[in-house]
Amino acid sequence: MPAFFNFFWGVSRVDFLVAARNLIQHTRRTLFLGTAIAVVTALMVLLTGLSTGTSETMVRSATTLMSGHVNVGGFYKITEGTSAPVVTDYRKIVDLVKASVPEMEYATARGRGWAKLISDTGSIQVGVSGIDIEAEPGFQQVVEVVSGSVADLAKPDTLLIFENQAKKLDVKVGDALTFSAPTSHGINNTADVKVVAIARDLGLLSGFNVYIPAVSLRSLYRLNSDTTGAIMIHLKPEEVVRAPQVVARLRTDLEKAGYRVMDADPQPFFIKFDKVNREDWVGQKLDVTSWKDELAFFSWTLKAINGLAAILLTILLAIIVVGIMNTMWIAIRERTREIGTLRAIGMQREQVVRQFLLEALLLGALSTVIGAALGALAGQAINAARLPVPIAGQIFLLTSHFFISVHPSALLSAVGTITAITGLAALYPSLRAARLKPVNAMQHFG
Amino acid sequence: MIATLRVVLQLAFRNLLAARLKTFIVGGIIFFGSLIVTVGGSLMDSVVTGMSRSIIGTLAGDIQVYSAKSKEDLALFGSMGGADADLAQIEEYETIKKTIEGVPNVAQIVPMGLSNALVTSGNTIDLVLEKLRNAVRKQLAGDHSPTIAADIESQKHHVQQIIHVLQAEQKTGEAVLDQRKVTQDDRDNAAALKRAGDPAFWAGFDRDELNALEFLENKIAPQTSDSDLLFMRYVGTDMDLYRKSFDRFHLVDGTTIPEGHRGFMFSKFFYEERLKLKTARRLDKIRTAILEKHEKIKDDPELQRMVRENQKETREVLLQLDAASSAKMATLLAQALAAPAAHTIAGADPALKTGTDNLGKLLGTFFATDDDNFLKRYDFFYAKLAPLLELYRIRVGDTLTIKAFAKTGYSRSVNLKVYGTFEFAGLDKSPLAGAVNLMDLVSFRDLYGFLTADSQKAVQDLKAAAGGRDIDRKSAEADLFGGGSGDQIVATAVSPAPEALQDTLPDLASATTKLHRDHSADRAYDLGELQRGVVLNAAVILNDHAKLDQTIADISAAAQRDHLDLKVVSWKDAAGLIGNLVLVFQVVLFVAVLVIFLVALVIINNALVMATLERVREIGTLRAVGAQRTFILGMLVIEAAVIGLVFGGLGAAAGSLIVLLLNATGIPATTDVLNFFFSGPALHPFVNVHYVLAAIGIVLLVSTLSSLYPAWLAMRISPRQAMGAEE
Repeated sequence: MPAFFNFFWGVSRVDFLVAARNLIQHTRRTLFLGTAIAVVTALMVLLTGLSTGTSETMVRSATTLMSGHVNVGGFYKITEGTSAPVVTDYRKIVDLVKASVPEMEYATARGRGWAKLISDTGSIQVGVSGIDIEAEPGFQQVVEVVSGSVADLAKPDTLLIFENQAKKLDVKVGDALTFSAPTSHGINNTADVKVVAIARDLGLLSGFNVYIPAVSLRSLYRLNSDTTGAIMIHLKPEEVVRAPQVVARLRTDLEKAGYRVMDADPQPFFIKFDKVNREDWVGQKLDVTSWKDELAFFSWTLKAINGLAAILLTILLAIIVVGIMNTMWIAIRERTREIGTLRAIGMQREQVVRQFLLEALLLGALSTVIGAALGALAGQAINAARLPVPIAGQIFLLTSHFFISVHPSALLSAVGTITAITGLAALYPSLRAARLKPVNAMQHFG
Repeated sequence: MIATLRVVLQLAFRNLLAARLKTFIVGGIIFFGSLIVTVGGSLMDSVVTGMSRSIIGTLAGDIQVYSAKSKEDLALFGSMGGADADLAQIEEYETIKKTIEGVPNVAQIVPMGLSNALVTSGNTIDLVLEKLRNAVRKQLAGDHSPTIAADIESQKHHVQQIIHVLQAEQKTGEAVLDQRKVTQDDRDNAAALKRAGDPAFWAGFDRDELNALEFLENKIAPQTSDSDLLFMRYVGTDMDLYRKSFDRFHLVDGTTIPEGHRGFMFSKFFYEERLKLKTARRLDKIRTAILEKHEKIKDDPELQRMVRENQKETREVLLQLDAASSAKMATLLAQALAAPAAHTIAGADPALKTGTDNLGKLLGTFFATDDDNFLKRYDFFYAKLAPLLELYRIRVGDTLTIKAFAKTGYSRSVNLKVYGTFEFAGLDKSPLAGAVNLMDLVSFRDLYGFLTADSQKAVQDLKAAAGGRDIDRKSAEADLFGGGSGDQIVATAVSPAPEALQDTLPDLASATTKLHRDHSADRAYDLGELQRGVVLNAAVILNDHAKLDQTIADISAAAQRDHLDLKVVSWKDAAGLIGNLVLVFQVVLFVAVLVIFLVALVIINNALVMATLERVREIGTLRAVGAQRTFILGMLVIEAAVIGLVFGGLGAAAGSLIVLLLNATGIPATTDVLNFFFSGPALHPFVNVHYVLAAIGIVLLVSTLSSLYPAWLAMRISPRQAMGAEE
């Protein structure tokens, strides 16, 4: 490492000036190569922005619609073979969570259910959340109501659905719908509700969720008022990344407090019924999950996007590397006599390498900064244009419109990575140039 | 002219050889560009072909037709919302059949309907009561052998055990249920449970077996709930026609539904995955992973999880056993586990004692398998333990009751005999292909809420009998299902199928009970009925698959001519989301190739410009000795084109070679989902000539395009300027 620092320690203003002069002298070459580097940087910014945007859409819709950043849910088994996604005596657990999670911003309790929603002309199978709307200011901020009013969810036997669902069921605010919830007894509990609000779709996930007041959900399943489906813990924005640690801590703390906690299993709760039904215990067990677990279904789409982006960028960078090496090669050939002269009057090999590297790095830095800026602007433009995602693409992106989320850190990493690669590509030609003997170099023509 | 061309070509080749570095760099990029297009294009095309074979050969056929009045597009393999598409019904199948059969290139048309039910997989108590009833019936029929008597005693014990469990569960339930909302039903249930738990009830059992059994079946069985909720999709179709038209259909167990009979067939995948004893299913999966994928339990967390679940989830096995088989299994296990030297099973805990009380523990120990003992224990399980167990909740030959919500919102149910299981050749591991089960079209119409000739007549009879009494919907359901209605699937013995067909139209409710014994589960129907009734969609199979678009147009025209309001779509559009994936693949590949070549264009252009600038003197000399500007232009463009052709060709050849190698070795479908896309356990990609030609074409275009600017620069070089240039 010290050798490396020494190497750049000696970079003076003159070196910079020389590098800049060389770049400017070969305008055309610089422009072409710079354009290519800038385009690839912009693409990298856009692709990572797409991946981040998708992941943010996932977090946002997931944490609004069906999960907190961290959830304390669980199952209550009346019999060994029947489980309900119910947490009993939940207020005590809320107190424990408050003490155990200082990162918490707020926590809400929502009931969980799964039912068929039937209108006069159609029916859909949906996840039903029992929501206490007065206790969830966050929900009202994220869910954008098209018609009706979210506040009306405070009244019993009301319902909030999303635009797509409303279209499918052919209902509007004020219409009455029937829930039919199957229980494992083979009995279907039913409840009649009135639509009080229709909200704008929130990505793919909003198609699977509807909201009714917590009291109505309890009465649909005939549960008492000490029960809820899950306690959803929302962390402070800067602490969201620490969700896995919070999950681990809550698990041990709940166990210490005497609760039975299920083994960690990164799956959404509705996948776990099968498993829980076959385990030989009755009563309450708690389960602590993160939002990622509840969305495990969709993690593959992020993997697919990242995989494709990585392949594409690798190919592009390989082409760029070839281009840079080619350019350096020619620059060195052009300046062989110059190098020979400089070496003859006492310039060290290191200085020669430094000179060429500096040139490449300068070109890289300039082009990547421009490229990153262009990428960020293009991202903004795409967001502003609200480009619709084709239906087949929606399954990957979980959203109906393209959403590119560009963070400063992503810009920095694109600039840093590609500049570094530019430098690396120039390393070999530079070393070759430095190996030239002064005498040979000066004799060189052409 | 020819002579000039020869000179230009000669010069071009000489220059290429002289400037090897440039040739190598530009050629390298072109080589890889062409390779990527060839390999990427061929792979994608192979996947699309694989998918099309999966889609066409299982459900879709080449073309699907459905009513143009439908609110949503047909989505055979599921749509975004998860639920099935809302299709309008085609009233008279016969008319569209006639029209479509008249279109050239149509080989076959198969009527269909796709729907689903959320059903419960059946309770253990149902199976136990069925065994008890069979034994009792034999005894009543005059069989007084001691084995039958012992069997009855054993089954009675088993039922009593279950009732004890139920009573304990009733107490647990009080913790979560809202006591203020206790209904009359709840109180009735509690009273029934109390009666069944009373020793006096069992003392009197032998005096009136049948009534006692009926009480248990009606009042106690509905209270147990160890079943799973199953989401089941099924296609109603003309079985014979379906089998002939879809070549990948392949019978696994039992028989197909005989012509003219009602019946049901499970997809083997669904049957194994959802109806098999979970413990056995997990053993199968671990075995497949070890033998076929060469995984090790100690390295794979997924396998470890399955082993753990088998240890923990022994309840399903325990519930199935009556006292006698519990004892037998415990003895078997204890012997096997305690005497490793004498038996085939190794690695037992010597502390385990023989006895019936610790069967759960014994099973836990038995299922604690590792890489050394797994295969032995697997064999032991199937050879020794499985005969004591019911491996499937519903067996082939059983009668299945399916209740589903009809379009009208009322619940309907039919009893169907399970004739067998089937799979699609090469797709036996694909969850997508394996999700759909089959039933006859007439039963499908019943469940969906269409009126068949049969039920129309029944409705008329009933109306007459019931005198058109009005009963509100709630009490109708209560009458029919003893207080509850729901989608439910229950395995019952073949003979006592109590309600074969229930049309739960409200005004018929009170009279429905009279209907039941009119129709047995495998009742035949008139073949004409199949043709005359309602369908949701139909698959069209073609003689020549290549004429797909033409035939779609022909069918549409024919439908219009006959005033049929039909939508005619290709397999790709009919498949739903999966079909759209084809488009996603194509767009992603297209965009990637476009971007790659755009960047390559810039880089190649750059390299060529620099190469040209190096040759200013040479070009000036050429001009001085009389070469025209166009000659210079031609020389440079041809140079680039030659690079494109040579390296593009090499790249395409290398790409084809890679694809051929992959074809020989095959790309294994590492996940079950991939089976569907690969149309089998491995993808054997083939070289697509279109993409090879496209690759060479694209690189030729790119290299020529990128040479235009440098060539234009070179063209402007004047002899004087060039000769005078000092470097």
